[in-house]
Amino acid sequence: MSKSDLTISLNEVLFYFTRAAFGVEVPIGLSEDFARSNIWISENGFDPSLCSLEALDNLDSEASSLAIKFEKVKEGGHLFCPKGKLLSSLEASASCVDWVEVNSANGELKISNVDSPLLVVSALGANQCSGLKVFWVDQDENQFQVNLIDNEVWEILSSSTNPIELSSNADMLISPFGLGDESYKGKTVKTFNLAEEKLNILHNGVKVRENWQGIYDYFSRCLVKSSAESRASGAGAGIVDTD
Amino acid sequence: MTADTALLDIDSDFMRPPEQVMRLDRMGSSFPTRLSFMRTLIRRMSKENWKFERISREVDKDGYGVSVYSAITPLRTYSLIAFTQEIPAEMRTDRVIAEVWDATFSLFDGIPAQDDIDYLANNTPKQEGGRYRPSELVLARANKSLRVFENVIASLAKGIQPDLDLLYSVGYLMRTTAVYGSGKFGCADRAKIADREECKPPFQIELLAVYLIRWFTIDSVEELAKERGGDKAVRLNENTRQFVGVGNSTGLGMAPFLLKHPTLIHNWVVAKETALARVRSIETPLQGTLEVFLKSLLQVSQHIDEWNVEDAIQAERISCLTDEIQALRIWCEDESNIFRPYPWNGIYHYVEDNFSLECQEMIVSLIIEPHGLIVDDLAETMSTTSIPKFKADMSLSQLKVVVEDCYQWATTIDFSLEESQHHFWYYSEDKLEPRFGSKGVDDGVEQEMPLAIGRDVYDLNEKLSETHDDVPISEFVMMHPQFRHIIRRIQNTFVRPYSEVQDNLLSESMRPLDLLRFKLAFFGASKYDPKSDLWTRISMYQGAPMPDQLSEPNHDCWSFPIAGRSQSYPCINCTCQKAI
Repeated sequence: MSKSDLTISLNEVLFYFTRAAFGVEVPIGLSEDFARSNIWISENGFDPSLCSLEALDNLDSEASSLAIKFEKVKEGGHLFCPKGKLLSSLEASASCVDWVEVNSANGELKISNVDSPLLVVSALGANQCSGLKVFWVDQDENQFQVNLIDNEVWEILSSSTNPIELSSNADMLISPFGLGDESYKGKTVKTFNLAEEKLNILHNGVKVRENWQGIYDYFSRCLVKSSAESRASGAGAGIVDTD
Repeated sequence: MTADTALLDIDSDFMRPPEQVMRLDRMGSSFPTRLSFMRTLIRRMSKENWKFERISREVDKDGYGVSVYSAITPLRTYSLIAFTQEIPAEMRTDRVIAEVWDATFSLFDGIPAQDDIDYLANNTPKQEGGRYRPSELVLARANKSLRVFENVIASLAKGIQPDLDLLYSVGYLMRTTAVYGSGKFGCADRAKIADREECKPPFQIELLAVYLIRWFTIDSVEELAKERGGDKAVRLNENTRQFVGVGNSTGLGMAPFLLKHPTLIHNWVVAKETALARVRSIETPLQGTLEVFLKSLLQVSQHIDEWNVEDAIQAERISCLTDEIQALRIWCEDESNIFRPYPWNGIYHYVEDNFSLECQEMIVSLIIEPHGLIVDDLAETMSTTSIPKFKADMSLSQLKVVVEDCYQWATTIDFSLEESQHHFWYYSEDKLEPRFGSKGVDDGVEQEMPLAIGRDVYDLNEKLSETHDDVPISEFVMMHPQFRHIIRRIQNTFVRPYSEVQDNLLSESMRPLDLLRFKLAFFGASKYDPKSDLWTRISMYQGAPMPDQLSEPNHDCWSFPIAGRSQSYPCINCTCQKAI
């Protein structure tokens, strides 16, 4: 299971990603949210390990932090890391969904210096937050806009050829999605139909590539090394079933 | 019938409250009912006239090779692909960490092509070491009960029936040691099949695999006897075939599942408790039902006689149960005790007031049994698609009230005592085997699985008491992210009162076995045979109709089976009237 280039199930995404986050000492509630976000990413045909490994690496190396603060601003709200580090997308995504739920997508939410923006988008998608526009410019000056139109259809608008999964370290702005928006001009639009994408995944599985090994390594931190003593105390120990 | 309809009964006076039902000692005394998942599946197979076919059997004279057995439903076909091999006796173990098995299985979605069989031949025998595809729904393995397997083949080959005492003492030819579904090791996710009618109730596809494995075991011994004995060989007689179940060894893997799926557990329990409440609320018994019940007491007496275990605690319970059923039969002989208004409620109260939990739960099963017409609809309410969500719009004051009202069982435990936090749950690196460790003895406390529901509620309650009501819950979890999971759990379970085990799962006295039996009873397993506090052997489908018996009117009459009998007791749900 630790090799790369595997096809895994959505249930395995849930199992391994929850524990991979737990493996970098993310509290279990956020780890569960993280795994649900990765299921949404997978259901849409992406390799979930691509954007998630970097988020876990950042936490593990302390380049990012789960510490978060909220402040009210004139346009709505602002989430940021008070420690001057990258804001971990694991915490940013959960807090962002909470804000949207309370504020019903009224006003704008700014999230500063998030390490993996797609994880925030996927948390919104996984929690069926729709009618939203998510905009960011990342550290490489790539500009992305995601429109979560309804619970089934969403789209990516970008002038960049870089994969959205690899977009990192960005200030994000979440606001209500308006049909009269002019932001389509000059951008490539990729539209997703969740039901169709999910059906495809259920019949073909989730493809994970080279980053999977890193996810598995973090997952492995949740396992307890076996010893002769622990083996001997396991269920069924000591019995040779030759009855 | 929907889950919402079932919920209407929760406030009934006849409904047992969660604080009575969801306690480990009662859960660990559970028995299957007619709502158990194996019963539901057998009823569907019969109603929809499923066909069963052995597609291929390519094995050598010792039975080693590959076979395919199919179940053909009105809309689709499922196929069990069975691989058999010779293994060294000393490597035959029921544990998860085993490396080889007598037989390994994949349940395939459809009829496999040769390419599929070739692919699985390289994977299925490796079990957790293999990789599977969305075309595979279930992965399983089984080991022979060597004594029984060989005795049955040798006898049948000589043209005689096997040693029935031996066969009945074990009850099966092979014992499964794991049955994996729902996306394990790359198999199909539940979502792929969840909309199929036959897959909507819980665990139907896994239990279909087990049903086919049972057929495979019986077919195998009969074929091997024919191979050995030629024209002299005979088949098992019909009653014996029907009594033969398939064994199972169940360890700790089931326990975390129960704790991680509170909504599902609520739906299971509320269905069973609603069934009981409906029966207890009957003022005038339905025609024939009391007579069926009285005969069933005779039958279970014999069933209990045949339930022999080495475990001292369970043996004592069985002995007590024997006496109590006898005492209940005597009490029932006084017609004034039962031929009166609300007879089922009267019987239930008499048993609750006078007998052990084991007896109480057996009587629950027995009084529900003759009432298929008024309870079987509840089987449709026992699954869920709900995914728990964190509700940021709940106020902290609301949360405090919920914790105070619904989680007293947790907030009143003294977690400062060592014995209150004696145990912890963890995954071993040995094939992810779940283990139950003791603090100060076993390594791995740092990697504890988050299954300490009571302790987490207790800690949350302490923190809430220090926090002002005006703090929004979203800000509370920003400051204290370690409570996000337990708040989400509480938000989703307080409206589902049967979802939590209302005991401390870390305490020194906690027996995981109680959780296992609770879940196994919902599956429909019988003859619990504990081997320690951590695992048990059981029988599945013992007494259930074989594929060629599914169209018989008594196909649903197999609860608490008796050796050598083709069925249980007269049933008001069909025309069968065989006396016991």
